[in-house]
Amino acid sequence: MDITEYIKLVFTDYTLRTITLGTAILGAVTGMLGSFAVLRKQSLLGDAISHAALPGIAIAFLITGAKDSNVLLLGALISGLIGTFWIRGIISKTHLKSDTALGLILSLFFGFGMLLLTFIQKQPNANQAGLDKYLFGQAATLVESDVWMMAIVTGICLFVLLLFWKEFKILLFDADYTKTLGFNTKLIDILITSFIVLAIVLGLQTVGVVLMSAMLLAPAAAARQWTNSLSVMVFLSAIFGAFSGVFGTAVSASQNNLSTGPVIVIVAGVFVLVSFIFSPSRGLLFKQIRFIKNRRDLKLHKTLAFMYNIAETHENISHPHAIKILNNFQGYTKATLQKLVQKNYVKLDGTMWSLTEEGFKIASNLYNQQNDNNE
Amino acid sequence: MSSAQIEIQLIASLVAIACAIPGTFLVLRKMAMISDAISHSILPGIVVGFFITQDLNSPLLILLAALTGIITVVLVEYIQKTGLVKEDTAIGLVFPILFSIGVIMIAKNANDVHLDVDAVLLGELAFAPFDRLIVSGIDVGPKSLWIIGSILIITIGLLFAFFKELKISTFDAGLAASLGFSPAVIHYGLMSVSSITTVGAFDAVGAILVVALMISPAATAYLLTNNLKRMLIYAICFGVFSAISGYWLAHWLDASISGSITTMLGLLFLAVYLFAPNKGVIAVMYREKQQRTEVSLLTFLLHLKNHTEERERHVNHLNEHINWQKVRSKTVLDLALKNNMIKFDKNIVSLTEKGEDFTSQAIDYIITNEDAQIEDMKDDFFLFRG
Repeated sequence: MDITEYIKLVFTDYTLRTITLGTAILGAVTGMLGSFAVLRKQSLLGDAISHAALPGIAIAFLITGAKDSNVLLLGALISGLIGTFWIRGIISKTHLKSDTALGLILSLFFGFGMLLLTFIQKQPNANQAGLDKYLFGQAATLVESDVWMMAIVTGICLFVLLLFWKEFKILLFDADYTKTLGFNTKLIDILITSFIVLAIVLGLQTVGVVLMSAMLLAPAAAARQWTNSLSVMVFLSAIFGAFSGVFGTAVSASQNNLSTGPVIVIVAGVFVLVSFIFSPSRGLLFKQIRFIKNRRDLKLHKTLAFMYNIAETHENISHPHAIKILNNFQGYTKATLQKLVQKNYVKLDGTMWSLTEEGFKIASNLYNQQNDNNE
Repeated sequence: MSSAQIEIQLIASLVAIACAIPGTFLVLRKMAMISDAISHSILPGIVVGFFITQDLNSPLLILLAALTGIITVVLVEYIQKTGLVKEDTAIGLVFPILFSIGVIMIAKNANDVHLDVDAVLLGELAFAPFDRLIVSGIDVGPKSLWIIGSILIITIGLLFAFFKELKISTFDAGLAASLGFSPAVIHYGLMSVSSITTVGAFDAVGAILVVALMISPAATAYLLTNNLKRMLIYAICFGVFSAISGYWLAHWLDASISGSITTMLGLLFLAVYLFAPNKGVIAVMYREKQQRTEVSLLTFLLHLKNHTEERERHVNHLNEHINWQKVRSKTVLDLALKNNMIKFDKNIVSLTEKGEDFTSQAIDYIITNEDAQIEDMKDDFFLFRG
């Protein structure tokens, strides 16, 4: 199946439409909430929570004995929240640092989850097959009710986000100030963390425990490069997330043997890479270009300053001098000289150069900060 | 106990020791999450190595995969240096992407590769004794035992050789640099050892257990001691204890060995987290309560000292003036009485001589901003703590 066929099928084929919609919604909601995780420096929390959700899935299955995805996700949610609050407990009550706390909870919960999963596998319950899809996720198992569930949760998230936008924003950038203003910071904090946990849990079925953190981070990290405004970032991040979901599904559906989760993550990774390189204000490419341009300007200024020092010793500033004497000066090349001529700072006459009136003025003010046309 | 069981426990214990040593330093250097990143991102390295060598236990594969681990660290540091995102985001971006590449590489070649992601991530210790190393026709033991054994010997050798350097650069990177030890060399050395240990252990116990074995024994030990040597020893003991008890738990439950070892590590950590003598949650909460009462006591004594008039020192008045809840005022009063700092005279409270002394010293310290001294002073005056 190639891409054009895929596009045709999206509108006709039930399964493909469900999966595409599901991954798109998932990408949007994780991207949206991921912005907060990234800005709150809780990027790795997503990784820890997604691993910590595993025992919850197993326990929910052990209790109910059924594979109802909503019940399993509820278990995951509870276990993820326990993990999150334990991480906070470790950080605030002991001298262990946040990275240790995250790594601890991540590996311990996951190991316990694996113990339970292998324990379940030995049980004589035919229902248990397929629980391990939560490890790496299987978008193909999405059904319409799952998508509805995601859509509803996304709607609630969006509603709460808009309702408490001001509170979230101020907590994000100045927690102390928020407290002095009389907001209940603890409550806002718990609210946003719970939503992050919720978004992660939603994604477990589709991309799995291991790769979920990238779904949370990548769109947000990409969006961060294009803007400094929170609302734009959340919006962009949701768009990037949704597109990663759609493209990822498209690519994995058009190839054999490709599971959706990893492909979505790689597509999101491409978004990040492109943003890192090509973002106009922060991107590496433009940064490098600006760097080179600045260096050139500096060289030009040095040449001009050198000329100025020579011209200063003469009564007539436009007194011609031989180009040769410039050779003693390091930053000089024919190209820079040509540039100076273009800017009408210098006149060339055969092998002689002379400063113009304008050039002299610019040069004398070069380091005075007053001329704002430094470019 | 059959010989296979002994071998499994031996392998698990050796892995635990090999992980605890670099793990201790990772925890102290606040780089615990790097081990998680490495354990995931070695997957593409393992896959490429497997294509080349066709043998999961070949040393070349271990080196290649360890190289991917180091590439991860370098990549994370590069992204972080660009300043585009914070360090934790950089870690969180790099390893899932590398891991995804690994998963896709396996999926695309699923037919001719005897390797699956579950095995890499979770390992299967129970099968480790069946893969024997045969040297000139003689069976000398399981391959993983030899691999992890050699890694352990190298790690211990490096630890003894560079203990001083590691210690200084961990606790005071600036001093280490000024003394002429390159922090970069030690940093990348530690990263290399961690990567190699992770790769050497993943086959036996799986990538996630490696993370658990690196971080949790060290974190548990860190709650019990501040001494580096002791911390290393404790971490090793915890690791080995969980490895062996975890094996028997798995035996009893008939479940995954790596899962049960992690669970034992978790229980151990939980116990220490709650009950550690100085840094456990219960100890911390008790100390906080004690300090709260003692601060209240000090406030109360200061109030008494400031007011000579009887009206201000009447029990009823104190209750409403200082506005503590009944229970709290009772604990504070009891404490003051027990320590012989106040006396009652017809419902009028006044300071004893000892109380006077204590209060004036406390005022001195507060005025001169030497609040820390109050703790020492408490030892001198208090017979009973709050």
